[in-house]
Formats: sequence, C-alpha cells, structure tokens
Amino acid sequence: MSLLNKRKKPESKTTSGLLDSDKKVLNVIKSKKESAIWLRDLKRDSDLADPIVTKSLKNLITAGLIKEVKHVQFKGRKHYIAAEFEPSQEITGGSWYVDGNLDTAFIEQLKETCLKVIRKLKVATAEGVYDFFKTNRLTNTECTSQQISEILRSMVLDNMIIDVKSTGLAEYHKIPVGQECYRCIAGDKAPITGAMVSIPCGVCPRIRQCTPDGLISPSTCVYFNKWLEF
Amino acid sequence: MGDKEDYNWHYLTQLKMRIHAHQKVCECLLREGTLSLAQVIRFTQLSKQNVTNALLVLVQHNCVQAFTIQLPGGFEEEPKIMTQYMALHTNIIHHMRFPKFLAIVSKEFGEECKEIFEGLLQHGRLSFNQIMDRHKDKHKADITNGENSTAANVLHENFNKLAQAHYIERCPAHEPFLEPPEQGAKKRTSKSKIADAPPTLEARALAAATPMESLRFLVDVDTLSNGALEDDSKNSPATDIVGEKRKHDCLEPETDIWATNKNKEILWRVNFEEFVRRLRQKFCVSHVTTSLDRGAGIVLNAIYEASRKEETKVKMETTVPLTMDTILEETMKSEEGRSLKLDGVKASLVQLGCEVSAIDFDSDTHSIDLKKIIDQAQSQEVESIVLKKYGREAYRIFRALLKHETLYETDKISIDTFVEKKDVLKILLQLLKDDFVQMERLGNEAQKMDILLWKIHKRSLWAQVLDDMYHAALNLKLRLVHELEQAKDILKGKAVGAEVVQKRKRVGEKWKVLESSLMVLDDAIMLFHDF
Repeated sequence: MSLLNKRKKPESKTTSGLLDSDKKVLNVIKSKKESAIWLRDLKRDSDLADPIVTKSLKNLITAGLIKEVKHVQFKGRKHYIAAEFEPSQEITGGSWYVDGNLDTAFIEQLKETCLKVIRKLKVATAEGVYDFFKTNRLTNTECTSQQISEILRSMVLDNMIIDVKSTGLAEYHKIPVGQECYRCIAGDKAPITGAMVSIPCGVCPRIRQCTPDGLISPSTCVYFNKWLEF
Repeated sequence: MGDKEDYNWHYLTQLKMRIHAHQKVCECLLREGTLSLAQVIRFTQLSKQNVTNALLVLVQHNCVQAFTIQLPGGFEEEPKIMTQYMALHTNIIHHMRFPKFLAIVSKEFGEECKEIFEGLLQHGRLSFNQIMDRHKDKHKADITNGENSTAANVLHENFNKLAQAHYIERCPAHEPFLEPPEQGAKKRTSKSKIADAPPTLEARALAAATPMESLRFLVDVDTLSNGALEDDSKNSPATDIVGEKRKHDCLEPETDIWATNKNKEILWRVNFEEFVRRLRQKFCVSHVTTSLDRGAGIVLNAIYEASRKEETKVKMETTVPLTMDTILEETMKSEEGRSLKLDGVKASLVQLGCEVSAIDFDSDTHSIDLKKIIDQAQSQEVESIVLKKYGREAYRIFRALLKHETLYETDKISIDTFVEKKDVLKILLQLLKDDFVQMERLGNEAQKMDILLWKIHKRSLWAQVLDDMYHAALNLKLRLVHELEQAKDILKGKAVGAEVVQKRKRVGEKWKVLESSLMVLDDAIMLFHDF
C-alpha cells in the first residue's frame, strides 16, 4: 500500500493543468498498466482524432506522466506506458535486454567469468557458481541466481561446458547425488571439427546443383581449386 | 528431399571401377537390383561369355552373391529353377577400406599375417593351398628346401590366428537354394503382416549362404596338414554347410566354373563384419578419450578386450555386462591401465555412465551405453556442419533443438539461446530451407498471428547428412581422377628439371590431401551407416 501511495503523489501534482483529451489519453495508457500500449491501439481506444492524440502524448511526456518504451519484438511500433509503471518482461525482453536490445556485451562477459569460475571449481552447481560470484564480487552489475542459471544453460548449448549429474564420488563429493552440475569439457576444447567441415563439399552452398558432368562439377569447382592451391 | 539424387548409388558405381571388375555388369546390378543372367545380358547388351566372366570376377571379389529360386510352372510346365545375382552394396564400399583393415591386422599380428591377409584382399577368395603357393612364390629366393616345412608351419599358425580372431571366414555358399514359400501356409492377416514383415529375398539369400557359426571360422586340421581334404563328405565347401535346405543335386549350376573348386578345397575370404566391429570399437574408445578423458578410453578398451568373443552383432547397443573384478583385471594388463588403480577405474566407469556404488558386490555388473556414444558422435558431426555453415548462433539454436526433442516455440528458443527473436527467426528459416529443421504453424486467434513451432526430425536429417557424405566422397574421388588426368603428362614424362619436380611434388600433395580427406570422410560414413 505504501508503494501505491508513493506512486500516486506525482500524479496528483501534475494532472491539474491537463486538457480533457490529455486526461482521456492518460487514462487509456494507465489502464494498460505495465503492458504499455501501441500508438495505433491508443488512437482506437481513446476515440480521438489523430492530431489530438499526438498533441496529448507530447503534453503528457513533457509533464512526465508517461514515457515511450521500446517493445523488444516490435521495435518499429511506438509504445507508451504511464510513468509510474515499469514495462513488463514481454515489452523489455527481460533482464537481458537494455532499451529493447539484447545486452550481448554483458552476456559475453558473464559467460567468460562463469567459465573461469567453473575451471577453478572443476565442477559446480548453478547455485555454487552464484555463491562464488557473490562472495568474490565478480561483477559490477548485480545479477541474480536465475540469471546465472540461464547463462550456464546457454554455455552448455555453446559446448563451453557440459551438464552432468553428480555421482557423489571423487570431485563430486561436495554435491548431493543426482543434482545437476556443470563441468568444463575435456581439454577445454572448442567443438570437435567434423569430417564434412574439413572438405569444401561438406559446407558447399551449391552442393545441390553439383553433378559429375554438370555446370557445377567437382572437376570445375572453384572451391576445390582454392582448397587445392598450394 | 524427394527430388534429391541418391548419391550412395553414384558413389558405389565410382568405387567398383577401383576394383577393376566389369563396370557395366556391376552398374547394372546396382541400378536394377537383383537380376538373372538373362536379364543382365539384356540390360547390359554384352555377350553371355562377357557377362559370365564379369559375374565370376564380382563373386570372386565378394561384390555379388548368387542364389537360386524356384519359379512356379505354368500350364503343363514344370517349375523352373533360376539363378539370381545380387550386388552386395556394403561389400563394394568396403573395398576402399582395405588399407584400414590391413593396418589393424598388421598392428595386431605383424607382417606375416598381414601378407596372408593381403593375398585375400587382392584375390577376394583363396583356399589354404593357394595361400601356401602364394607364400612359396613370394619367398622362393629366401627359403631353402630344408626350411620349407618350418615355413609352412608358421603359415598354418598365422592362418589359424586370423581365423581365431574372426578376421577371415569360410566363403558363403556360392549359390544357395531358396525354398519357395509353403503353399499350404495360412494366409497372413493384415495385422500380422505389419508386425512381422517377411525378410526380403536378398536377406534370405544372405542368411542361407552364410555358413553355420560353428563352421564359419573353423580351420580343419586336415586342411592345415594336407591342404586338400580327401574325405568327400567333408570336402564340399560351404554349399554343404547349410546343405539340408538346399536341393543342389537336382540343380545345374549356370556356370561350370563355379563348380571347379567345389569338391576340392574350402575357400576363405576376409570377414568384413569383424573389421566393422573393430573399427566401431576403436571409434568409441577414441571418442570417449577426446570427449571425456584418457582414463575413460582405457577402461572402455579393456571392457572390449575382455568381452571380445561375446559380442554377437556389430551394432551392440551396450557392452557385454562385466563385473568390476573382470574390468579391473583387464585394465591392469596394460601399462597405462595400471596407472589408473581401482579409484581411477571406478571414476572412469561413472564418467561412462555406469552407476558405481561405494561398495561393489561380486554380482554387480557394469555395461556401457554404446548407442549413446554413437549418437553423441553423430550429433557432433551434424552440429559442426551447422556451426561452419550458419555460425555460432545457429549452432546454439540447433543444439537447443536437438536437446529439446519436442516442438519448440520461436520465442522460447530466443530466450534460451540468447539470440534476438528476429535473428532466431532468420536463422531458423535458413535452416528450414536447407532441411535441417522442420516447422509447424499454430494459429493464435488472440494475437491474430501464427505461432511457429520448430523441431528436428533426426532420422530424416541423419539420412540426408549420410547422402551428402556419399555425394562429398564421390566428389573427392572424381576430383582425384581429374587431378591425375590433368597431371598425366607431368607424371609420365621423363623430363627433369626444377620446374617439373616442383609440379610433380604439387600433384603428390594434392593427391595426399584428397586421399586422406576421403579416408576421414569414410570414417564419418561408417559412423552414420555401419555403427
């Protein structure tokens, strides 16, 4: 309740000098709460002429009552939200997004740090990695245990680490049997190079058009020529 | 995938040129399937003599299997016995693997066994006497009369070793007779047809031709001491092994030449199946060594060694269950195994997916999930293609889809893989275009847009990758032929000089790269086809 009271204060101060149309637009935007509203839906719901809506939006933004937010999925569409609300995860894309863009630099930095932690711990649960982060204050930005878990799962997909179930034996002795934990891949290698990728045909974009006597053929192939150029 | 060519066939026809068999006949059997002599003559438009000779060579090199069937007679006509010829696809491809087989024998049994084995690879089928003659011929200069018998004994011993290891086997019956299906047999209901599909004619022929397991690797003492057997009841070759099923007496073989060896000696050939098994084992050991560690490789190898004779088929899904004592004992036989000690062996077994309790009872047995190792290796191969072709983000998405197994929504993929939604969609559509993933639409009334769901159809994708591998192998082979053709003058010419030497060196390097790439690619083909 105290939070609600706090939020209502700025509103009461500034709504006094607003036009009726401004108030109508504001109410529609407020009714959507943290979901925000797309400009086209706003025009439809407020039942006002386009220029009036545009003018009202300008007034409301100047008065600090609403703000424009970027929708992670529809970056070209203008979305508005009342100033007292924070946009929902559907709008922002979640904690990994900043201004509607994936914060790749932060993600990469976290991955690198997680890898170093796992190398040091040899084998660790997501909670273990998170604890290590907290104790050693490894990042300037605050990150949650949920975020660390998500990062670790994506690192498994990157083949940077592997997920295993604890056996309780040897290096797993500190982890309860059956609990999911993470460890580095053997020799910390990048994905093993396959047989197909080591030859031009394995990744050739024209392989479907290539025939023994066709226009594209192994004897006339430019990729082969380049490969066999010593 | 329907409009794509089957590159397995192209690759096979290219390979058969390597063994210098009659190209046209082999190509005809590969293309048309099982045929009679008359049909082969009609399709190839060659003379009867030429076709017969070609078939003889192909049978000799284990590329073709003959069998006889009884055709039902017509009005006032007796039933007719007819010989059919089928191409043995896998055996034809095995011809390019001879260097690999040879390396295994040489490493395990040394040069003398390798020599016997080489003879069988070169000639396809040989009797022990022929092997002996070949040996005598080769070492004429080195052996004096007095040493003859010692040399023969050593040869017997080595021959026996190869048979004991199942690296060689008695040849299958050259023309087994397949009984016609019983007339009085009950009509099969549609249900029973689905549940129990009858084996194909080809599968029946192969089964009928294969010698009984007890005789398949049996080196007759008489064979070793006298060469040819004298006892008529024993000396007819593999035809008699599955004798009771066959009505050979009433048949006249189409080729008299088949029969020349029939009453004389037992013919031997290389047992390809055992080599596929060994290569699969080697592959699994090397895979766990790289993906897990050296200890896991040593332990898996020890398990293979301890259960070598007990494996019943090539595509074993798990290793033969063994107790900790047996595994430990076998591991300790090697120098590097001894460094592991009990704890190391236990840790490796755990890494290999076994449940090892702190206290191990004598009755506890352990077996390794081999199918999982093979699956993992196959996935790795396809993943590496995705990585190189479409980039790291696509690699992550592809791995997520492989792991997920069921339908996966675009938004969820985007969240789990840290790839922006629009990029995820772009990548998925690219993968869809190249048949790596499959898509399903789900109508969503509320959002007035379709939800896209994605999944990997593993079986069809794996088949497509294998076909691409055959295509790539065919291309490597054709390029090799092209390079040699281009360099014909340089290679044949007697001209010398720095420039020519340099050119020859370059051709040699190209040849090496192409040949070694083909061998590596063949390992991958085996991984997807034979393992």
